[in-house]
Amino acid sequence: MTELKIAGSTSTPTIECTTQPARVYMKGDSYPENAFDLYQPVLQWMEAQLASADALTMDLELVYLNTSSVRIMMDLFDTLEEAHTSGRQVTVNWYYDARNERVAELAGEFKEDLSLPFHILPQG
Amino acid sequence: MNAASDSETRIEALLADPAYAEHPMREPLAQLYRQFQEQVRQLDRITRISDRYQNAAQREASSLTERLNKHLKQVEKIARISDRYQAMLQDLNKRLEHESTHDALTGLANRRLGLARLSELIAADQPLSIALVDVDHFKRVNDAFGHEAGDQALTAVAHALRDPLGGTELVARWGGEEFLLIWPQTDLAAAIEHAQALRLAVPAQAPTLAGRTLRTTVSLGLAQRRDGESVSQLLRRADAALYAAKDAGRDRVMAAQ
Repeated sequence: MTELKIAGSTSTPTIECTTQPARVYMKGDSYPENAFDLYQPVLQWMEAQLASADALTMDLELVYLNTSSVRIMMDLFDTLEEAHTSGRQVTVNWYYDARNERVAELAGEFKEDLSLPFHILPQG
Repeated sequence: MNAASDSETRIEALLADPAYAEHPMREPLAQLYRQFQEQVRQLDRITRISDRYQNAAQREASSLTERLNKHLKQVEKIARISDRYQAMLQDLNKRLEHESTHDALTGLANRRLGLARLSELIAADQPLSIALVDVDHFKRVNDAFGHEAGDQALTAVAHALRDPLGGTELVARWGGEEFLLIWPQTDLAAAIEHAQALRLAVPAQAPTLAGRTLRTTVSLGLAQRRDGESVSQLLRRADAALYAAKDAGRDRVMAAQ
């Protein structure tokens, strides 16, 4: 399984998908022109990884998401939730700047309806 | 026993009866009976198939409804989260706008906002007076007590100038240790009165640092707008009055005539 790294910009997050252990890391703001194009490789990478690996951690330091990015994040979480339901060890850690509680509240919205381990953690 | 199977039983009995074995109608009847039974079987089969199709269609409809409901729920969630992100951005915009028009140290309007407000009033041809205020010997405070003390002194001056002594439309931090005051609908005599009160308020509200009072005074240069006078002409006259106040020994109010 190859790694997947996408450099961030002002409108897109830094994305790093690494193996052993399997980890998806995303940091920054997300309002890309085409969210589907940006995240489709991530979704595919995750699906392939979940087909072979027993565990996957997603570490997020996302701040602003536009509507299409919100939609895609929900797809990513649904994929993880399915893996969780079928017995895989998946964990989501969403880190936020302690000075910006609203990001924590938004992460909480995503967490709703999910049963996988989903931690919302203040930083700084 | 119903009528159909009753007649079937009778026909089967007649066909089996050896007494009618040679009867000319026996063979055609037997053939007709076989055809009838085949058709009954076909009808059963069609009914069964049709039932299965109906079941499948029903299942599909209910799974479509289920999927539609799930999608609706998802769309609602996306909209809810997206709305909250937008609210977050709006607040951020407001904060940025405030930061771009206000001074971080004193919380006063910055030079940009002060100039914009003054330009608006002058564009509307409102009568007004202004003052440029400078902290006396500010460099000495900085040199003797350090920049932190200097910041504290500036904040105290800003606070004293902002005190509601009436009629001050705006206090802006104009530069390092300079401030701009705008009094709309105020003639020079009234402005001088306000300015004197502020001049006395500044040292009265001096901060203390490590047991020592950072006594600061201010010099003020005033100007009342003349008919048709531009923003820069007015500022230039106020600035000249401020320099005159400095030259005359500081801690005083001078007005441009």
